[in-house]
Amino acid sequence: MFDRRLLKNFDWLFFFIVILICIIGLVNLFSASYQTGLSVFKKQLVWFTLGVVVAACISFFDHRSLERYSHHIYVFSVLLLIAALIFGKEVSGSKSWISLGGHITIQPSELAKIPLILAIAKFYQNDFEGGPYGIRDLIKPIFFISLPLALVLLQPDLGTTLIILLISGSLVIFMGVRFKSLALLLILIIGLSFPTWHYFLKGYQKERIETFLDPSRDPLGSGYNALQSQIAAGSGKFLGKGFKEGSQAQLRFIPEQQTDFIYSVLAEEWGFIGGFFTLLLYFIVILWVLDTASLAKDRFSMVLSLGIASIFFWHTLINIGMVTGLLPVMGVPLPLLSYGGSSLITAMLGVGIVLGIRMRKFPVTKEDIAL
Amino acid sequence: MREYKRRFLLVTIIIANAFLILVGRLWYLQIVRGDEFEKFSLDNRVRSIRIPAPRGRILDRRGREIVVNRPSFDIYIIPEDIQNTDTLSSLLSPILGIEPNTIKSKINIALQKSRFKPALLAKDINRDQLAFIEARKSSLPGVLIEVNHIRKYNQGTLGAAFLGYMGRINEDELKLYPDVRVDDVVGKSGIEKGWEVYLHGKDGYIQKLTDAFGREVKWSLFKEDLHRQDSVPGSDVVLSIDLDLQYAAEEALGDRRGAAVAVNVNSGEILALVSHPTFDPSDFIKGIDAAKWKYLLEDKSSPLTNRATQGVYPPGSVFKIVTAAAGLAEGVINSDTYFYCPGRYKFGKKTFKCWKGGGHGSLNLHQAIVESCDVYFYNVAERLGIDRLSRYIKRFGFGTPTGIELNEKVGISPSREWKVKTLKKPWYEGETIVTAIGQGYLSATPLQIAIMTSALANGEKLIKPRVVREVISPDGKTLARYDRQETGNIGIEGTIINIIKDALEGVVNEPNGTGRAARLDGMVVAGKTGTAQVVSNTVSTNQEDYKDHAWFTSYAPAENPEIAVTVLVEHGGKGGAVAAPIVKQILEAYLKLKKEGSV
Repeated sequence: MFDRRLLKNFDWLFFFIVILICIIGLVNLFSASYQTGLSVFKKQLVWFTLGVVVAACISFFDHRSLERYSHHIYVFSVLLLIAALIFGKEVSGSKSWISLGGHITIQPSELAKIPLILAIAKFYQNDFEGGPYGIRDLIKPIFFISLPLALVLLQPDLGTTLIILLISGSLVIFMGVRFKSLALLLILIIGLSFPTWHYFLKGYQKERIETFLDPSRDPLGSGYNALQSQIAAGSGKFLGKGFKEGSQAQLRFIPEQQTDFIYSVLAEEWGFIGGFFTLLLYFIVILWVLDTASLAKDRFSMVLSLGIASIFFWHTLINIGMVTGLLPVMGVPLPLLSYGGSSLITAMLGVGIVLGIRMRKFPVTKEDIAL
Repeated sequence: MREYKRRFLLVTIIIANAFLILVGRLWYLQIVRGDEFEKFSLDNRVRSIRIPAPRGRILDRRGREIVVNRPSFDIYIIPEDIQNTDTLSSLLSPILGIEPNTIKSKINIALQKSRFKPALLAKDINRDQLAFIEARKSSLPGVLIEVNHIRKYNQGTLGAAFLGYMGRINEDELKLYPDVRVDDVVGKSGIEKGWEVYLHGKDGYIQKLTDAFGREVKWSLFKEDLHRQDSVPGSDVVLSIDLDLQYAAEEALGDRRGAAVAVNVNSGEILALVSHPTFDPSDFIKGIDAAKWKYLLEDKSSPLTNRATQGVYPPGSVFKIVTAAAGLAEGVINSDTYFYCPGRYKFGKKTFKCWKGGGHGSLNLHQAIVESCDVYFYNVAERLGIDRLSRYIKRFGFGTPTGIELNEKVGISPSREWKVKTLKKPWYEGETIVTAIGQGYLSATPLQIAIMTSALANGEKLIKPRVVREVISPDGKTLARYDRQETGNIGIEGTIINIIKDALEGVVNEPNGTGRAARLDGMVVAGKTGTAQVVSNTVSTNQEDYKDHAWFTSYAPAENPEIAVTVLVEHGGKGGAVAAPIVKQILEAYLKLKKEGSV
């Protein structure tokens, strides 16, 4: 069962870079939470350990069995999303969380991203006709995407809705869509948003969407957050204020500084040097995953890696764009850096899958046979 | 998957560009605008708390406190820290006696201005209110008690007319005093206004480290950013006023509408300055209420006017001093010139009455002054003519400011040119006749009359009256001293002065003198009565508003004058009967102080 050749092909460098980002995240989280007793840091340390184990385990797991069970996994993730709507704990207006008793809560919308990609990858593996695809060909993936999309929209969690749309949308577009069909799809999305607005969304949900689209409606809310976050990042200047020396972070001027705005803590305390270095690491990771996709031996692995790259890319772009004031404030975490088990585990699952695909991408060498 | 090669290249380019944008943005925030954001982050965490500076005191000439400060416990709200506006409003409303809706709207207004800046809710709360709020402080987040300094008037309304009142600074004053805070108070009248720059201290501040919730943070972290500046108290203003004499003068005038001035004839220092009715400066401490303000502004008794310096009245017979001096100096009369008074005087077609209907018979200047015969001075005036008379009017300070550093009016010093210029009419000779007895166009303030009297008393000099002796800084340094200053010379020969002085002594001390009511044991008083007609004689004088103004101006001791006292009672009636006893009472108090060695 265990193939020793796999261990030899284990991509230690990639794994090391990911761990490095995690360690930067932990150091940063230590600074962001030590005023409040480090409980957040300790929890994240546990999640990190768990994440490393998950990544390692998944990498040795043949992705072909993932393919086999991808529909089951997808259905399970949708059930979790439904459970969130029914039993969910409402946090700042959204029912995004399920409490597993004790202090452990999970966020099904985070955990639904990998299963969705699995389902899409399986579609392209089985239904390949060489593209570009017409709208009739794409009914299945559209259905796969729409279901979690609608459930997340109902929570309502606009940021996650948007990110799911971007992640899966870029996969579909990468795989090729006929121009006419793409136009039709866009019209469909816009067309659907009107009845959804009028018949399905409640008043407070509409209000959240309106604030999302126009932050000046709530200047003391998201506008204030965006400003404080930019002040934090900007005041870090070139070298930063130093570990645990960021006044914006330590005096809690940065909102959500352990989760969505964690990057502004980093930028304040480590300056442009630290901020740039971290961005560089993300860039490397994304290119590495993209490289994995391009080297993949089968379409399932390729789409799967592509999806994982897509998750990393969109999360990083939107989160850092939001923190630096380029984009409106929306609840999108930064993978590996933001506090939160569901987000970290999702990212580590992705890393594990990529490691697994990399291990199996190479043809068996003579040397290996000799072993 | 060779067929996707171009797509992977495209995706790589897109991703690289996206990261370039992020790096560019980071560069812009941290490098291009880094200093700016660094300043913002400093402003975020450092909150300056004002240390209010106490205002300088106002002291009498012997250092006794007239206006001082007392602590005022003020209630402020910090919108950021308020948890529930409704609960807070309904909790504070019964204690502070403010409608809950008023409190709510104040919170909302403050919220719009700044979430972190304290906004004033109630000023100068009493002990019970303070105890209530202090006891519940922990359950009243967002409520702040600040101690400020406000004025305390140790002597009540005493001297209010010249001490002045305080009020919130306005836009014009902000330009004048750029260091004063927009919500601070400044002197609006009197000494408080005139010496504002000395009285106003310099506020200090203490910086505190606060977190995003406005709570003070007591870490050693970031402490190097914090500064502290102590407040500098305002300087004390030492008046020339003597508290005892001021008190005596106010008591002497009593409820009558009028003014009293006591001035040192040699130095010009004002020892007492009374105007009645007046206002209570403590009404202004918390901001005066609209009804009271309307009353002060619009009431016929004009309580805000300082009658001693701003009230302009015809001087009446008090002016005969000037006419006599002019007549003697111009050689129109001498001390032996007699005129006959039949009780009236014909000039052209007009007949001018003497106040004594039966007439005084034949009298010389001395008797004419002592008995205040009008006809005698009609004669002098006719012989002088207005051109010569008006020169002396000016010399005695009429029509020109005394130079006192309080708001003052100047009245009218009539002359032929003056009439042509202001009324565009020629001078009628009949008008010279009434001018001689201080009627007609002539008018002056009680202070001007007091300075005129001082000039006569000291023999020559018009002296600038002073209310402030010096300004002393909190550490005891003299910042300003106001010395004796002459503003003019009456230019009358000593022999003439002595003739008039002799007569003025007679007014008080001779059996038929009009000012006998001012006679004093222990000090010889000299003076002159005046009964100024408000309108022409034809109107019935029974009506209160048309009753004559009662004047008495004096100096003492007659042989070596020190003090001049002038009293005016509006519509009081006869000067000798109404004003002279008041002067006597003031001089009695002066004499007592003199015997104690206090003045």
